[in-house]
Amino acid sequence: MAEKFHTELDNLKCETVEMAHFGRAMLRDAVDGLIRQDKVLAESVVARKEEIHIMEVRLEEHCYQLIALNQPMAKDMRVIACTLKVITASLRIGRYGKVIANIVKEVADNPHIANLMSIPHMAELVIEMIDDAIQAYETDNLRLIDAFSSRDDTIDALRHSIFRQGITYMMEDPRTISRCTHYIMVARYLERCADHACKIAENVQYMETGERVEIH
Amino acid sequence: MSDAAIITTNNLNLWYSGKHALESVSMKVPKNRVTALIGPSGCGKSTLLRCFNRLNDLIDNVKITGEITLDDENIHAPSLDVVTLRKKVGMVFQKPNPFPKTIYDNVAYGPRVHGIRDKNELDRIVEQGLRHAALWDEVKDRLDDSALGLSGGQQQRLCIARTLAVEPEVILMDEPCSALDPIATSKIENLIDMLKEDYTVIIVTHNMQQAARVSDYTGFMYLGKLIECGRTKQIFEHPTEELTENYITGRFG
Repeated sequence: MAEKFHTELDNLKCETVEMAHFGRAMLRDAVDGLIRQDKVLAESVVARKEEIHIMEVRLEEHCYQLIALNQPMAKDMRVIACTLKVITASLRIGRYGKVIANIVKEVADNPHIANLMSIPHMAELVIEMIDDAIQAYETDNLRLIDAFSSRDDTIDALRHSIFRQGITYMMEDPRTISRCTHYIMVARYLERCADHACKIAENVQYMETGERVEIH
Repeated sequence: MSDAAIITTNNLNLWYSGKHALESVSMKVPKNRVTALIGPSGCGKSTLLRCFNRLNDLIDNVKITGEITLDDENIHAPSLDVVTLRKKVGMVFQKPNPFPKTIYDNVAYGPRVHGIRDKNELDRIVEQGLRHAALWDEVKDRLDDSALGLSGGQQQRLCIARTLAVEPEVILMDEPCSALDPIATSKIENLIDMLKEDYTVIIVTHNMQQAARVSDYTGFMYLGKLIECGRTKQIFEHPTEELTENYITGRFG
């Protein structure tokens, strides 16, 4: 029976990685839609919200079932605890993708201000963090998340910089207020996505070592 | 382990007819705590448990080296009276084994052996023992009935009451629930939790969930060795030894 349980646990992890990639793709496509002013791509992101929600419910139920039927202990227990957090973080990342995609629909008809400021660069860094967090979870590789604390600091600094730049443009020309507010919100959502990547990293650390760490 | 130890073993070795059944076991059993011993069949859990009240002395060709202390006193010291030791260290076995006597006489048996004859005193001990074993309310109106008429779970609690009647310091339990249904098991587990207020409990169990539920400390044994012993929370959440991890996650055993 233990073998069957461990096979199921492996399957759960594989399916959770798929969900994490799905959420990450929603964010990636939303950012690409924003950069390219592509409303169709943005629409496709919004349309995926039901699918990721179904994934969340199904995978969470799978976790609860494994707990109820197998009473996992030690690393098995930690894998399931971590998986539940990865599921939640992936859903949130996907949802931020959806929210950014909705903004694309608002801003796509007029040219960008200041080439979207640092948003494309910030998005690259956030998505790299998400990729590393997912891979660390998938391959039990803690080295990928070693520098998450300083990477998260960079993301916070970029958000602050976009905020200040946005305020400057708004003061110069009130007609940019709506658009710059959207940029500031996008930067905020990207920063939250990086926080979710950090949450995944914290839980991968717990899954692997049993130690709780906090990544600021 | 930060709790004060009541039993300590130091480099304990035991051979049955030349078979090395316990190898260099050194552990501390904290007072007023529940300590569980887990491990695959034949790993030496019951053998170790039976060392604590020298029950292995009753088996031929047993050789023991190393030291076991109870309250800092060597239990193998020539001056130590083994009957007194077994009064201090009571035992409950896998299968309920009440005497073919009345419920009352089962509990009063130990105190009578130790010389108590006063009826009022015996009544008090019997009631207290049955209350501590969470059995009093179920049997108070039929104390003169045969103990053999009780259910399995009640018989096991009667055996615990019989153990408590001689006021031990330590209670050894060897698979106390393996012959019981889930409801009776739950009652015994609740009882174990209450008993640690006044006693130290050492329990051998095959059921890891039970060990996790009832114990404060857990020792994992494998092939006669104590691989790891620590707080139950740590052992089941994050064991130090890979062997422990593999056993409790069902990768062998």
